[in-house]
Amino acid sequence: MTNAREISVEYLARVEGEGSMRVKVVDDKIEDVEFSIFEPPRFFEAFMRGRPHTEAPDITARICGICPVAYQMSAVHAMEDAFGATVGGSLRELRRLLYCGEWIESHALHIYLLHAPDFLGYESGIHMAADHREVVEQGLRLKKAGNAIVGLVGGREIHPINVRVGGFYRVPTKRELEAMVPELEWARDAAAATIRFVGGFTFPDADMDFEFVSLSHPDEYPFNEGRIVSNKGLDLAISEYNDYFVEQHVERSNALHSQIRERGAYHVGPLARYANNFEKLTPFAQELALEAGLGTKVANPFKSIVVRAVEVLYAVEESLRIIDSYMQPTEPYVSYTAAEGEGHGATEAPRGLLYHRYRIHDDGRIADAQIVPPTAQNQLTIESDLRFVLEGHLHLPDDELSWVLEQSIRNYDPCISCATHFLDLTVERG
Amino acid sequence: MADVVVIGVGNRMMGDDAVGPIVIDRLAGRLPESVALVESVGDATHLLDTWRDARLTVVVDAVVSGGVPGSVHRVEGKMGLPSSWRSASTHLIGVVEAIELGGAVDMLPDELVVYGIEIGTVSPGVELAPDIAAAADEVVELVVAEMAESGRRYLVSGTR
Repeated sequence: MTNAREISVEYLARVEGEGSMRVKVVDDKIEDVEFSIFEPPRFFEAFMRGRPHTEAPDITARICGICPVAYQMSAVHAMEDAFGATVGGSLRELRRLLYCGEWIESHALHIYLLHAPDFLGYESGIHMAADHREVVEQGLRLKKAGNAIVGLVGGREIHPINVRVGGFYRVPTKRELEAMVPELEWARDAAAATIRFVGGFTFPDADMDFEFVSLSHPDEYPFNEGRIVSNKGLDLAISEYNDYFVEQHVERSNALHSQIRERGAYHVGPLARYANNFEKLTPFAQELALEAGLGTKVANPFKSIVVRAVEVLYAVEESLRIIDSYMQPTEPYVSYTAAEGEGHGATEAPRGLLYHRYRIHDDGRIADAQIVPPTAQNQLTIESDLRFVLEGHLHLPDDELSWVLEQSIRNYDPCISCATHFLDLTVERG
Repeated sequence: MADVVVIGVGNRMMGDDAVGPIVIDRLAGRLPESVALVESVGDATHLLDTWRDARLTVVVDAVVSGGVPGSVHRVEGKMGLPSSWRSASTHLIGVVEAIELGGAVDMLPDELVVYGIEIGTVSPGVELAPDIAAAADEVVELVVAEMAESGRRYLVSGTR
């Protein structure tokens, strides 16, 4: 005799984009947990075949409205890898600055409007604004500081158009960059206040044994370059990505899941970058992280909100450093010659490692493309978190259970707009 | 930002979700030069910044509310949007949330009109379905007419 209950939530609130989750519980035992995202990158990969390699940055930037810079950066680095071009000096610094802008805006949005309401007990950022207007306004202003960087360096705030293989179409003047300094100085204080604010939230106990995968660079907290490393011993060149990672079917699911070959799930994103690169943060960011109670590694995904805040502070400080030392380059891009070849690019999107691979024909057209977004890489880990959270909360009524499960998905700031349309959350209990 | 703004929301690579930006393309040359035409992916904070100082803002967006694809809705935005519009298109932190948030933090224009073009499902692609393309033309004419009426109020007396 079974009593079947079913909950259906039309969409998953406060997750950028949409996805679907299905949970099946029989006799208080978890039978199945599936978190699915549909993957438009497949469309974009096919769409790019035969098109000029110069179009890849702008086409892939359309995959996500929130992290276009990440797609552009992975694309241009892959092309430059294929053609043997190296972008250094001020142009390289400008790319880091552009990436700082994207991290600031993406993280500020997630922290203030999407994630904080979970910890303060509000249904949404809008409901939170009624009681905490000054908090929401601070978040909006912080995000705007990031938007301003993307607008200036990227050419416009939404779908930046100033990025090209080899560099930029136009580079900003020192004076243009310096005009942003007063607001960035405000943002540094606001980011510090944000760490203290979110560090004071109450977090459920949920330490996980993650394999953290991120870029690592000898001299800097990673954005564009480095080796792919993990806390469990991976250390590979970006070009070796497909030798170590694979998208494959897992039991009971139609979706492809990214895995480390013969090892399984892994975790990309702020927690992974932080764990693998803590000592590369600025001294102030390290100090505030420790003051907020974080260790040099954070294994509790619910605390990702604090790590995002630490990364916002880092990005603001790094922006100020880059602007201070900026010398306008004489040319906005480095020349290169397109040739037949294959190139790989991996950069750190706000949500984690974003890998691109292209094969190029001798006339510069794209022969084929491969794009692996961070949320696809986290899919298996998200499912495993959901199992963990389910086990501890099976006693809850369905609506509260759904809420807890949604929160554990939001820990990943999943960009499911690189994904599907509606999110259906279904809990079946037999 | 200008006193009068028309914002087309959507993603040009996501099939019928591109209808907002395409309306913006088709409005080029049809309105007084002082009217700003802005493309948006629907990012709420970008919307707030774009319209906060405007007198009149017209937003054109794809919606999925279960209606017939290609049908056109016109809503006075400051009254709030129908709840059935939530989660339309590929940009969830979108127009509905921006309006609610703008109301909570006093970042709405004096007058806000939203045209919602009903679409079916969203999937990647670079072509509008024929019924959606026809609806885009219809909305272009509606916006032009709207500007000839209410737009004149703001554009003629528009010194601040």
